[in-house]
Amino acid sequence: MKKILLAIAVLMAAYSVDAQSLSGRDIIKKVKDNPDGDTRYSKLDLVLEKSNGSKRERKVESWAMDIGEDTKTMMFFTYPGDVKGTGFLTWNYDEIGKDDDKWLYMPALKKTRRISGSSSKTDYFMGTDFTYDDMGDRNIDEDDHKFLIMETIDGKECYVVESVPKDKREIYSKRISWIRKDCFMGVKVEYYDKLGKLHRVLNISDIKQVQGFWTRGKMVMENVQTKHKTVLTFSDIKYNLKIDADLFTVSKLEKGL
Amino acid sequence: MNIEKINSKFRLFGQFVVNHRLMVLIIFAALLVFSVAGLKRIYFETSFDTYFVKDDPMLLKTDEFKSIFGNDYYVAVLVENKDGLFNKPTLELVRELSNELMDSLAYSEKITSLTDLEFMVGTDEGMELQQIVPEEIPDTKEGLDSIRAKAYSKEYVSKKLVSKDGTMSWILVKLRPYPADSVWRAEGLEAPENQTGREAINICFKDKYKPLNPKIAGMPYMNYAKAQYIKQEMSRLMMIAIIVALIVMALVTRSLRGVVIPILTSIFALIIAMGIIGWLGLYLDMSTTMITVMLAFAVAIAYNIHVYSFFRAQLLKLHDRKQAAIDAIAETAWPVIFSGITTIAAMMTFLAMNIVPMKAMGINSALAITSVLVSILVISPVLLSLGHRTAADKEFNTSFEGRSANFFERFGEFVLSHSKKIIVISSIVTVFCAVGVSWIEPAFDVERSMGRKVEYVRNFLELCDTELGTMYSYDLMVVLPDEGDAKNPENLIKLETLEHEVENYPLTKRHSSVLDIIKDMNCTLNSNDTAFYHVPNNNEAVAQLLLLYENAGGSESEYWMDYEYRRLRLQIEISNYNSNEIEIEMNRLQDRAKELFPNAAVSVVGNLPQFTVMQQYLTRGQMMSMILSALIIGVLLMIVFGNIRLGLIGMIPNLAPAVFVGGLMGWLGYPLDMMTACIIPMILGLAVDDTIHFVNHAHLEFSRQRNYTHCVKATFRVAGLAIVMTTVIICATFLGFSISDAIQFAHFGTLAVSGLLSALLADLFITPSLFKLLKVFGKEEVEN
Repeated sequence: MKKILLAIAVLMAAYSVDAQSLSGRDIIKKVKDNPDGDTRYSKLDLVLEKSNGSKRERKVESWAMDIGEDTKTMMFFTYPGDVKGTGFLTWNYDEIGKDDDKWLYMPALKKTRRISGSSSKTDYFMGTDFTYDDMGDRNIDEDDHKFLIMETIDGKECYVVESVPKDKREIYSKRISWIRKDCFMGVKVEYYDKLGKLHRVLNISDIKQVQGFWTRGKMVMENVQTKHKTVLTFSDIKYNLKIDADLFTVSKLEKGL
Repeated sequence: MNIEKINSKFRLFGQFVVNHRLMVLIIFAALLVFSVAGLKRIYFETSFDTYFVKDDPMLLKTDEFKSIFGNDYYVAVLVENKDGLFNKPTLELVRELSNELMDSLAYSEKITSLTDLEFMVGTDEGMELQQIVPEEIPDTKEGLDSIRAKAYSKEYVSKKLVSKDGTMSWILVKLRPYPADSVWRAEGLEAPENQTGREAINICFKDKYKPLNPKIAGMPYMNYAKAQYIKQEMSRLMMIAIIVALIVMALVTRSLRGVVIPILTSIFALIIAMGIIGWLGLYLDMSTTMITVMLAFAVAIAYNIHVYSFFRAQLLKLHDRKQAAIDAIAETAWPVIFSGITTIAAMMTFLAMNIVPMKAMGINSALAITSVLVSILVISPVLLSLGHRTAADKEFNTSFEGRSANFFERFGEFVLSHSKKIIVISSIVTVFCAVGVSWIEPAFDVERSMGRKVEYVRNFLELCDTELGTMYSYDLMVVLPDEGDAKNPENLIKLETLEHEVENYPLTKRHSSVLDIIKDMNCTLNSNDTAFYHVPNNNEAVAQLLLLYENAGGSESEYWMDYEYRRLRLQIEISNYNSNEIEIEMNRLQDRAKELFPNAAVSVVGNLPQFTVMQQYLTRGQMMSMILSALIIGVLLMIVFGNIRLGLIGMIPNLAPAVFVGGLMGWLGYPLDMMTACIIPMILGLAVDDTIHFVNHAHLEFSRQRNYTHCVKATFRVAGLAIVMTTVIICATFLGFSISDAIQFAHFGTLAVSGLLSALLADLFITPSLFKLLKVFGKEEVEN
């Protein structure tokens, strides 16, 4: 009898190792470390949609460059007409606690303004349902990660990982991510509010390889409580372009496209 | 109508019930169990939005507004420390409370507080989004002084946030849109508004926040607090009504059975009615349910008295309980049912009102009175018939009933000998009252409908009286012709003109719009130079300022400007409420906006316009309901008397109390509200019962001797006590309301009692006088 029990225990242990040899943190790190080139270019269509169907659309052209663990991004608005030419430069730092640097150039006012500080805990990106963290800027050690289970989404096997922020002042109490096993790309993320209720759901689709890099084509974040939705559609994506580091400066921002 | 035939049918019914007591009781018990299960499904609506019928234009406009600008309901908390807010422990506590409100209110969306604010500060090279109170709150004088300086650095921010003397601060939590009723109901959840009010109370009144002396405002809190208060008050008033009814019944019947049976039947009837309401998912709200419950209780007692009086008289004669019970049902079932029908008919006229709780009250009261009738006709005979035969030890003439019959006979004589004087006096009183009717004014505001004696109202009004607190708000929505028009500086400057004008309206306390953000951004962008606190002069500049604002993390603008940049919103908060004045101000603002924006669609929305529309509905609805109930009762009287002239004359003693109550409201300055609006139709429905009793008896007696003096005296002798007793009991039940702290309950109690007493006086004095003066049953054969 003892032998049988031992055999079962060994089998179960072997199975669990096979199913999950990676910890929650390992999985999230692999997502973070997914190669995305040293530089990137894309066009971004950004649509905000209210529950009543009214929409606000903006179009942006974006360049990004990794410098060590940090990332610099330059964006220019191309639509609507009254904000065309407005540029937005961000220097995103990986270091925990270090605020990003942001500048905005407004051609109508011929002024560049550095935006510093943070409004509050709800630091959403340009009126969208995404926070800056959601856009990929979050350091992995700002959360405790725990692998939960394997699940299949759209025929793809996914790791399901629960991440709980260490800082209790974060806007969510936990998030649960579904990460494709084959490419370590997130396909779905659920964010829960402080009361433990589902708050926002991110669905990522049109995942494909561009120049050998796994790339997200569309991200839809819905606030399930307010039914407000943000749809980000990326197009014309290019990696490892030859971009001068000087592009990511205030003087270039003021020169425009 | 052949009364004898009807009575014989009810005799058969009474025999069946008495002879099959066990079976009847089992079936009735099953109905009770079924109803008790339905009680769990009862839900009390608290939101003011539910007052409007589904397709009401005001509701559609409000829904459109909410779909664009989000939920216009909010939770606001005024915190106060007499020693000043700018010290470390107080600021820490304000932050803790702000954080808890944001995190623990299930529907919170955004908070504005001294410790959590979109506060833009211009710097040499740009702008910094700061917090007035830093993460680490300093303990030093310099540190705290710098926080204070920052809090007052922008006047347009500080006037909404912190009092001039630094002792008070205003925390505002904007709420996300509530899910549709079908959503939370399907999940078996609490109503969002109720939940928000409850959560706000649970958070703010924690012991740890006592040093901040928090006072809450906002519709979710007000509605929840009102529901809680009414729930408590309803139990108290119900208890008083039961005790008073017990005393009166004990005095009238001097028998345990005479006390227990009416109480039991009325409780059973209420359980059945509320159970059915639960099963059918009918609308219920606290104030109108209170009227339904009290009315059902009162009529149950009154109808029982009729049955019991007849039972007792028969018992004195026959000494056989079973037979007396059968006789009581045979003789009183039809008059009781007819009384029920007239009251149901009067209450159903509330369906003519365009207000959901009033319609619901009509239906629910009809259901409750029907349940009362079922309970009385089924349970009373069973319970009355239980027990042994009684000993033949009492005689009618020496009994209380016999002595009172003699008294009422003498009273009848007195009335007849003063009939002309009576008609003259009552005509003068009626004219005097009719003058007062024209002064009745509707009121929905909390001060005039609930009053300062009620704790939550007192706290709220004290909050409104402070420098920061506001009472209600309304919004002006301007829908411009094309997308992007709202960013046009020309339109923004027109909006600013409106703001300046509305500032001078007597009731305006403060206003908010997208201009606060645009002007603040322009000022911040130019190193906080207040010379730039204005709207930039071109479209692109406005658009880019708003983009800068959003990029800096600002999220307030969407509350004031829609996604298509077509709609502008101007919110006006008021310091105190005056229904006439606010209507004038809202119309003035709307007219001015139409003048300034000739091509735009302009409307006012929010709580105050809703109140105004509801007041109009109530005034119109009450008139409609009054006319309808008078008409229906008139027709019923004509049918029951089988004579149009008699029906019309029968209306006189019933219309008199309606005019009396209306006059009383006008003369005493009682406003028309959801409760007082019910009085007149309700009194018409109740008062007509006595008239029917009186006229029927009089007609019968006149046909015997064709003499008015005999007919009136005999009628008083037979029906006098029952008519007085039923009115006394119904009055006693409603009397409890008069001592309530809540103004509308006290008004309701006073008016109901005055109305019922005036109806009684009309029946006792006017009806017999009219008989004699108008010779209503025909010519006399024997002259006095």
